[in-house]
Amino acid sequence: MMKHFAPSAVRVEKDVVKRVIRKLKGKGQLNINVGQEVTPADIIGTSTVSAGFRTLNLAGSLGVAGPEAGKYLTRKIGQRIYQGELLAFKKNLLFGKKMIISPADGILDFLNEKSGELKIAFIPKKNELPAGVFGICEKVDHERGQAIIRTQVSLIHGLCGTGRLRDGTLHILGKKDGLIEKKMIQSDYQDHILAGGSLFYKETISAAISNGVCGIITGGINASDYKAMAGGRIVFPKKLDYDIGISVVLCEGFGSIPIGEDIFKILSEYEGKFVFIDGNNALINLPSTAGASLVKVRSTRLPDAADGNVSTDEKLRDISELKTGLFVRVLGNSYLGEQGKLIAVNGSPTLLPSGICAYLATIETKRRKIQVPVANLEVIR
Amino acid sequence: MPATQGLFESFDNLDQIPPEAIARWIKPAPQLVLLENYLANRILYPQALSLTEYDMRIDLAILREALRMHSPRPVAQRTNALLGDSPFLNVTLRKILIPKRFLNFVPDIASLTWAFVDAFLIERRKEDYFSDLWTLVLTDDSDEIIGSLILPQFNRLGEIKISLSGKSYQVKQGSALVLPCLANRCELSYKVQNGSVLGKAESAIEVYGGKLGLVIDGRSL
Repeated sequence: MMKHFAPSAVRVEKDVVKRVIRKLKGKGQLNINVGQEVTPADIIGTSTVSAGFRTLNLAGSLGVAGPEAGKYLTRKIGQRIYQGELLAFKKNLLFGKKMIISPADGILDFLNEKSGELKIAFIPKKNELPAGVFGICEKVDHERGQAIIRTQVSLIHGLCGTGRLRDGTLHILGKKDGLIEKKMIQSDYQDHILAGGSLFYKETISAAISNGVCGIITGGINASDYKAMAGGRIVFPKKLDYDIGISVVLCEGFGSIPIGEDIFKILSEYEGKFVFIDGNNALINLPSTAGASLVKVRSTRLPDAADGNVSTDEKLRDISELKTGLFVRVLGNSYLGEQGKLIAVNGSPTLLPSGICAYLATIETKRRKIQVPVANLEVIR
Repeated sequence: MPATQGLFESFDNLDQIPPEAIARWIKPAPQLVLLENYLANRILYPQALSLTEYDMRIDLAILREALRMHSPRPVAQRTNALLGDSPFLNVTLRKILIPKRFLNFVPDIASLTWAFVDAFLIERRKEDYFSDLWTLVLTDDSDEIIGSLILPQFNRLGEIKISLSGKSYQVKQGSALVLPCLANRCELSYKVQNGSVLGKAESAIEVYGGKLGLVIDGRSL
């Protein structure tokens, strides 16, 4: 009996102890010490985020020359103003009155006397950083405003992705095999990580960025959209890291491909929970929500890692002998991403319609039985 | 990702092939977005085999464009490579070098050869009469000659009549033909109307044969 081999991959690792990074947004103070045990709700730091500024063409809006704009302001430079309050007022005998309303909460920062442009600095926001996980603090870096916490997570290894490490609340968008359209992205998805669907359109990704979505976990994406997010190349392994303001992890491949059953199942268990997404490393960390996980975290020592470097296992991909009963996934352009149990491998090669002679394997998926070449299989470990 | 052997593992810049270029080899052409995704999945899963005849046609179209990216450059852009700028074409010895392992992914040797001819020679400007005759070689640990390629040059609408092993064949301008000739050396005579082969309108020559035979390509410019 001929032996067949196929690449094998770990796609989901359950309940492993890993390091996660919690980082302040903006400048602030970490209130956590090395060795300290934390729970998800513990506030481990506070920071102030400068929300930016907005420039108004005050002279243009009032219809006056630049140097005159200042005299119509209702507040002095340096004063605070709230959205909807009267910012400037001008009375005109012929054209009535002109009122300029403040578009945002802020401080009147600067008026350009020549151009009549007014800069409103948004009021800085105070942010509290929760631990987000049950764990033990291993390192505190006050300079970089980050703490490394040892915790128990379930790990999902995607195929590829783009974007830096982010965190947020996981939300499953519809079915695992649906097409995700722009209209499905709601404004209250800010700081969320959206998962599900077989394809996120380019417009959907743009809408997600506009609405402050942190990350996307999808089965597939169009190759042109991936290129646009990954420096214009499709090269594996990726040589550089990229970030376009959102982190994206692809789980199956290019085109419309439903997220695999193995990944979708565990993602569904984490609906509404706090998770991490690392697009550039195609990793999703799902921290344990059970306080009892601290027992394992306490007793597990991890090898030293460089600053900010979450340790990764290099033996995630290997070669395995194909045996009936194994859970496999189909690769290539036909039946891509389908998963099922290997029930048989033919004893002799079969001539395919493509003209290739290959050993065929029979896979029993949830819906049907399919036959694919052995070369198109990956063993799921 | 582990490095796995596939048809396209010799090519680094597959992602730089525009889908429009692939589409021009396939009729009916699929949507460009589908082609681009197909190509990306080929890069992602290089070891996967094509199942359908249509997938094989797409693979051959990708191969043509991948080879074209490796075709010899114009004189001004040439590097100082000893055997030329392409690993698949020896311009000095007039050889088309086809890696034997490609047959694992495209078993039809004629289709594979056409992909190489289309990629390298169909739009190639002929510099001398010797550009009319090429040897087709399967490369591996030891090379194997599988036949010869004859590219008649036509002045205007013409045709070539070939006599091989007592049989006569006719190839009109714009068409192509594969003639079986399993012998190591094949003798043939030809007569070209409105054109020439190796500078002559009528002659007899001895060329390499092999498991493919003689490829007569009357499509050249």
